[in-house]
Amino acid sequence: MNRLRRLAALAAAVLRELADESAYQRHLRQCGAPDSAEEWRRFWEQRLSARFTRPKCC
Amino acid sequence: MAGPRRFFDPVNAGVWRQRPSVVDCGVKLLRHLLWAAVAIGAGLCLAVIAIHRGERINSVWLALAAVCSYAVAYRFYGKFLAARVLVLNDQRATPAERLRNGHDFEPTNKWILFGHHFAAIAGPGPLVGPVLAAQFGYLPGTLWIIAGAALGGSVQDFIILFSSMRRDGKSLGQMAREEIGKTGGMAALFTVLLIMIVMLAVMALVVVNALKGSPWGTFTIAATMPIAVFMGLYLRYWRHGKVLECSGLGFGLVVAAILCGRWVAQSPELAPVFTLSAIALAAAIIVYGFLASALPVWLLLAPRDYLSTFVKLGVMMMLGVGILFVRPELQLPAFTRFVDGSGPIFAGKIFPFCFITIACGAVSGFHSLIASGTTPKMIAKESHAYPVGYGAMLLEGFVAIMAMIAACVLQPGVYFAVNAPAGVVGASPAAAVSTISSWGFPVSVTDMSSLAADVGEKSLFARTGGAPSLALGMAHIFARSGGGRAMIGFWYHFAIMFEALFILTIIDAGTRVGRFMLQDLLGHAWKPAGRTSWMPGVVASSAAIVAAWGCFLIQGVRDPLGGINSLWPLFGIANQLLAAIALCVATTILLKMHRLKYLWITCLPLAWLVAVTFTAAWQKIFSPVPAIGFLAQAARLEAALRAGTAADAATARTLIFNARLDAAVCGLLLALVAAILIDSVRVWAGILRGVREAQVHEAPFVASQLRAEEL
Repeated sequence: MNRLRRLAALAAAVLRELADESAYQRHLRQCGAPDSAEEWRRFWEQRLSARFTRPKCC
Repeated sequence: MAGPRRFFDPVNAGVWRQRPSVVDCGVKLLRHLLWAAVAIGAGLCLAVIAIHRGERINSVWLALAAVCSYAVAYRFYGKFLAARVLVLNDQRATPAERLRNGHDFEPTNKWILFGHHFAAIAGPGPLVGPVLAAQFGYLPGTLWIIAGAALGGSVQDFIILFSSMRRDGKSLGQMAREEIGKTGGMAALFTVLLIMIVMLAVMALVVVNALKGSPWGTFTIAATMPIAVFMGLYLRYWRHGKVLECSGLGFGLVVAAILCGRWVAQSPELAPVFTLSAIALAAAIIVYGFLASALPVWLLLAPRDYLSTFVKLGVMMMLGVGILFVRPELQLPAFTRFVDGSGPIFAGKIFPFCFITIACGAVSGFHSLIASGTTPKMIAKESHAYPVGYGAMLLEGFVAIMAMIAACVLQPGVYFAVNAPAGVVGASPAAAVSTISSWGFPVSVTDMSSLAADVGEKSLFARTGGAPSLALGMAHIFARSGGGRAMIGFWYHFAIMFEALFILTIIDAGTRVGRFMLQDLLGHAWKPAGRTSWMPGVVASSAAIVAAWGCFLIQGVRDPLGGINSLWPLFGIANQLLAAIALCVATTILLKMHRLKYLWITCLPLAWLVAVTFTAAWQKIFSPVPAIGFLAQAARLEAALRAGTAADAATARTLIFNARLDAAVCGLLLALVAAILIDSVRVWAGILRGVREAQVHEAPFVASQLRAEEL
């Protein structure tokens, strides 16, 4: 049961990483800024502009 | 009481070691026995699929052969590379730890990074390539996927990931410049741009062929655009940061769009609006590519990217579970008559064409761009590069095996009726079934009509590109897992939506990346052109990139042989040539690290890829058979034009130009890679003769302070 719970937690963590939600939490910690719509926009624009300058795999 | 537990190690004199207990010895023995059983299992399954003839074979044999072979490769070959060749050292701080900034550089849990890396490398290539290569039968493609992924693809990904990690996350181009020289670096940059243009065109062609004349499919994919815009607005203005919640909502809307699609296809008013010809669809995709490249990324690209990533991972998992649950029998034989090179989907013999048709899934050059992109900046400990670099590629190999199974569960007659172009089998259904049946793969017009009605399509003849036949195979497996025949239409369009969604994500993101690369190149000549915020520069460079791949796309759409016959091999050659560049860089690094000792590890796959791609490229340019050689094709059309036997002079002239353009692109790619190869050999000879510095350009050693509990 514990193993299943750990697996589910890992799957959720992978999804959060793919969704940039973990990266946003890290960004808030790094800047010491509170969660706000303005902060999210700033983070998201920075993140996306870096992501969409790299080629995607076929 | 047991005797003393410590003994004196005679090898490491002066070191007292813990004597292993009986339990430890037992566990070790059991482990050895288990691995021996897995290795025997791999050999047995491979022997069964290789020797079995006559009766149909169950798909489980293919899946087991792949799982056991990959397990053995991971445990022994991968571990050997990690421990002996690359000598991964967890005491050494990775760039994620040293340069940690919370954005690009961030130490990440190895399994989370594994998921992230796998999601980045798994594209439509490992799904479409095996479906097309199934024209040779299931065996050649399957063996290539198993051997290629274990001995070539994973090795390339792992060594490039390791090299980039040791060089602060440098890109493949930067490493080529540093380790080989300026010529290699510049050639790598041009090659990547050229490959991207060919890739975008061929991927767009796959979508066009999947959606032409299909109001259900076209409506579903058209609906994903407003859904993505809604998601973008939702994330930016209403529920900031709730990406998972928003993606769940987006997925629900996409499923609703698939369900509405059936109603649209049956509506006499709406069906004609969404029934588009191939050329109209191509124009729509070109306009979409341009808009997506110029619009803000948060509005369309990013939401689609999230949605397609989750749908992709979910569907791959569903397919794996479906195959395990249904355990379908393969209908295609081990070998078909087309091993002689007369294939209707693409012409050419197994060697070299099977090995360039399946690139992603076995060896893919594009992976080297990912392995030297985001991933090396997120590795927390050096040892994590082993599961992430070597393991993720093996998983992609397994995805390719699943695609091969999905294609081979179709009746051979149906498989060829869907995939063979009208120019080969005949334009009318009666002519097509007659030609295909004469090959020994019986199929009737009634079978095809009934199948088309089941999946809610008007016709499934000549739906080239691989996507429709893969969707049919997947729908067959999903429907048998749940829903039965009544649900096959839903599952078919669900599979089409899944394929088109993430192919379009590659097209929009690829066009944008191509625009940046072009602006980067132009910026050297004229500064304002290089500014990514200067609107005229953005519009002009976006238009140039879209025009470049759009030109190949239109060419593919107009090609009487379906376009896939000329464009997919070109894409395969380009992708494998990029892998050759990556292996040149990897070989140079291994040579500098160990001299000749471990050179065979990269030299063998490199030699194989050079043999395959150079032979394929040579044949595509110079083969006297018009179905294979571009120049022979142009010469035949020119002769027909001169003799006045060409059906349409203007079309013939366009086709002649296209064939010559394809030959020129193929030749240019060959020349670029030959330049890199010659440059590399010159560097290797210099190192071995001692006239060239053999120093690796790694970042200096810094001891790691990162604790396991921090991850």
